[in-house]
Amino acid sequence: MSTAMNFGSKSFKPRPPDKGAFPLDHFGECSAFKERFMECLRDSGYESGACRQRAMAYLECRMERQVGPRGAARRGLPSRGGEGNPRWRRSQLMANEPLEKLGFKDLIDEKSEAKPEK
Amino acid sequence: VVPGETALAFYKAKNPTDKPIIGISTYNVIPFEAGQYFNKIQCFCFEEQRLNPQEEVDMPVFFYIDPEFVEDPKMAKVNLITLSYTFFEAKEGQKLPLPGYQ
Repeated sequence: MSTAMNFGSKSFKPRPPDKGAFPLDHFGECSAFKERFMECLRDSGYESGACRQRAMAYLECRMERQVGPRGAARRGLPSRGGEGNPRWRRSQLMANEPLEKLGFKDLIDEKSEAKPEK
Repeated sequence: VVPGETALAFYKAKNPTDKPIIGISTYNVIPFEAGQYFNKIQCFCFEEQRLNPQEEVDMPVFFYIDPEFVEDPKMAKVNLITLSYTFFEAKEGQKLPLPGYQ
């Protein structure tokens, strides 16, 4: 049984995700990237660290996919009052976020180092 | 998964019925004490998601384990953390209760 005194440890509070929810990828637009990531996981014995490049590629795919209000209906999303509703006016499969802030800084630095100098 | 390193995981959900379903999911972490170290950057949870009839979708979770995990002596023997989700059908006007551990 755990003691009542918990020096130095955080108390547990269930909480929503930091950057909100992923809209569903109803049309599987990024499924290919997901499959490549899963293939990497299987090949590496499920070592998450070995597959970060492919995880990053999946998230980049999401960030590149936009959907407007008509697109929202096409995607099977619930209609929420049309153009006037800012929530559905413009949504992506993932909001743009610099990859460095998503824990991929080291991979980005590697990429830019690998680029040949012009 | 290394504490402090961001990681991606996928779940899959299917609506086997012939009607669209709007659902909300909540999560659970086992062991319970590890839950405080589990940080979701983005996931499919906490918001209504609609699944069309017979639709099957991938549901990603992008997360990291708080690096302080390695400093907590209570976590020293924890090698496996299990994250599970339960989908509830959303009812009109229902507010999502935050997952509790009653």
